[in-house]
Amino acid sequence: MQRRPFLLGCGCLAFAAAAGVRADEYDYQVPPRFTRPDPGTDEGGLWAFMDREEQRLKRSSFLIRDPALNKYVTGIACGLAGEHCPEMRVYIMRTPYFNASMAPNGMMQVWSGLLVRMQNEAQLAAVLGHEIGHYLQRDSVEGLRDAKNRSSFGLIVGMALGVVAGGTAGSLAQLGILASGMAYGRDQERMADKIGVALMARNGYAPAEAGRVWGQLLDEMEGAKAAGEDVSSTDILFASHPPAEERKEVLAEAAKRDWPGATRTGTDEYRAALAPHRMGFLYDEVRRRRFGESLVLFDRLLKASPRDGQVQYFKGEAYRQRGREGDAKLAIEAYRAALAMDNAPPEAHRSLGTVLRQTAENAEATRAFQRYLELKPDAEDAEIIRSYLTGSQS
Amino acid sequence: MRLKPWLAAAALLALAGCAQMVKVEPGQVTIKEALRLNPTNAWNRFELQFPLSVAPGASEVWTQDGITLDALAFFVGVAEGQTLGSVIPGSNKKLPLFRATMTPGEIVELYEQMVTQDGSAFALTRVAPARFGGQPGFRFEHTITRKSDGVLLKGAGQGAVVKGKLYLAAFTAPSIYYYGRYLPQVEPLLASAEIKAP
Amino acid sequence: MRRVLPGFLLALWVGFALAQSNLAPGFTKLAPNTTIALMPADVELFEISAGGIGEPRADWTAAATKNIMADLRTRKVKLGARATEITGEQDETVEALNNLHGAVSRAIVVHHFGGLKLPTKDGKLDWTLGPDVAKLREKSGADYALFTWVRDSYASSERKAMMVVGALFGVGMTGGTQQAYASLVDLRTGQVVWFNRIFRGTGDLREPEPAKETLDALLTGFPL
Repeated sequence: MQRRPFLLGCGCLAFAAAAGVRADEYDYQVPPRFTRPDPGTDEGGLWAFMDREEQRLKRSSFLIRDPALNKYVTGIACGLAGEHCPEMRVYIMRTPYFNASMAPNGMMQVWSGLLVRMQNEAQLAAVLGHEIGHYLQRDSVEGLRDAKNRSSFGLIVGMALGVVAGGTAGSLAQLGILASGMAYGRDQERMADKIGVALMARNGYAPAEAGRVWGQLLDEMEGAKAAGEDVSSTDILFASHPPAEERKEVLAEAAKRDWPGATRTGTDEYRAALAPHRMGFLYDEVRRRRFGESLVLFDRLLKASPRDGQVQYFKGEAYRQRGREGDAKLAIEAYRAALAMDNAPPEAHRSLGTVLRQTAENAEATRAFQRYLELKPDAEDAEIIRSYLTGSQS
Repeated sequence: MRLKPWLAAAALLALAGCAQMVKVEPGQVTIKEALRLNPTNAWNRFELQFPLSVAPGASEVWTQDGITLDALAFFVGVAEGQTLGSVIPGSNKKLPLFRATMTPGEIVELYEQMVTQDGSAFALTRVAPARFGGQPGFRFEHTITRKSDGVLLKGAGQGAVVKGKLYLAAFTAPSIYYYGRYLPQVEPLLASAEIKAP
Repeated sequence: MRRVLPGFLLALWVGFALAQSNLAPGFTKLAPNTTIALMPADVELFEISAGGIGEPRADWTAAATKNIMADLRTRKVKLGARATEITGEQDETVEALNNLHGAVSRAIVVHHFGGLKLPTKDGKLDWTLGPDVAKLREKSGADYALFTWVRDSYASSERKAMMVVGALFGVGMTGGTQQAYASLVDLRTGQVVWFNRIFRGTGDLREPEPAKETLDALLTGFPL
């Protein structure tokens, strides 16, 4: 049954258009609560399959179980989902790629690569609202039916079996492929974008932040291309959507509309919630070895928060790990900048020492290593660092 | 849907013609004519023509109970500008290159990049100076959460750079039972190592 | 339902199926009045589409799981072993043991029954989960745990049609394969005392009667 939630009743839209009045396309009518479908139907089969994938997800070694972060993200999702909140379960995964998805059984996944990229609560709400939009529209079921009829379904499942995202293996649920945008058509994506904006505004978030998410991703892709890096894995995310550029434009237009009371970005709350985890997420980000994207991300975070020594440190790490001609110098500058800021981790001294050693500035390197040991005498690598100082190896 | 580890197992079986297990008897053995070892008990040596995700691109992998369980990987004579290990099929990651002037900390980062290609998580727990192969070097300890099946592995390794080349041995095994069972065999084995760099 | 198994895989499996012991050294059978804990069966059934890709079928899997667990329960009652089941939310240690068991099973399939034999094993089925299994013993009160794992695929009607067409052109196509293992673990020591696996092109787990046949095959030689 095709849903038309934006019609306020049969023929109203047509009437309104005929009368020259533009009906409010963002006045989204949330459907009533969902009930579990009959297991014999294809929807029921998909639901049951996702239930079992969810059981696996619950036991995954890559699930982030921290109650505070879960409470925070679930709270945002619940606010957006409104009366559908009780149908949802949120799972936060330690996976350093931009993704969030929602399965037809109410299982929502949010990856750490997404969390580290959001500037504020409103941006996270935009992405979650979009996924909730797909859920409320039953898009994944439509997508599955549609995909089964297209040969691309094989590609989708084949990809889900571990070929995407840089060859990472994992369960179907972990990859969130079936329920993510992979099987969705452009119309469904546009609808989900609209619903996402409507839900954001109802929860008081500034809809302008939605378009920014796409602008940010585009910038990262540009950074990767400029650095001569392969962007094929991120391209996959854009493959079946309307192009990112178009989404950014459409969402920017949506933001220009009048949204009384929808002004909140929640920047401070977001930072506070992410703080205990961010160092680990930034570490994972650098370890991906997609330095073009990472550097754009770090610069963006620094623009919003110029004295963030932790991000500045990881900027240095990106240069150090990339190790191209001239990168050693850039890394040293970054570490020194970080150490002048508020919250540089002690590791900044260690990395500075490591690079100074490369450039044969041994006296300075020694001082940096000493400083590291003063700050972290029980570090896991304290013994080896000490051996650099004494010049002794056993 | 834990299918991938089984596809990997099936692939291993299908390629049995291209691989075999050979017994390593107690007594002196040399890997790639450069790393001499003196095992006091028998091991199984894996000779492979393609990269195993446990230690892709290793010179040799030894095991007692099988490569989904314990694995002792040897990387012998990695030269300047080469990668430690190799890229696994399906990965588009470019691995970092070894430099002879690297610190042990940087060398451990090479190891980390190699073992996390498949999305596994790595945590370093210790790096300390140690002799390896009769040369000044380092030892390191770590954990790996294997992506494909969620098993938590514990690991210990040793390495040294001699005449500009890297010699590294890394042992990993499930933290439940296997690591504790075989570490007492691995440590004397690595202590017996001699690097005969050309 | 007949299915065509890729020839070389079948040969490999059958070739190595001979002469491998299913029993750990020194173990012949279970003592009477033993309690066996049934671990939740790990089952997935797939439909092979025309394009050859396996699509998970939740309804088939649910039916198969039901059939397998029901049959296992009946079987144990008949054979005189007391049954218990590990149900409910698993804690992290049980989960870790489950994962370890998966890794041990893969080692057994590859290195004991498969072609990559470990010379130091000398042909013996000698693998263990170690003494941490005591946690499973506490939870279940059982002396042994029986693990079952099944992956099975069936050709869709489109696929079957394509197979017929393929055969006309001399192109062999997989119609679906059934792989399964069953493993009996001594919860006092962690030792895998009995292990069996099947890999074949026949069998149907979606209905109770044919499912019983699959379990007959899987539990051949079960040491009771």
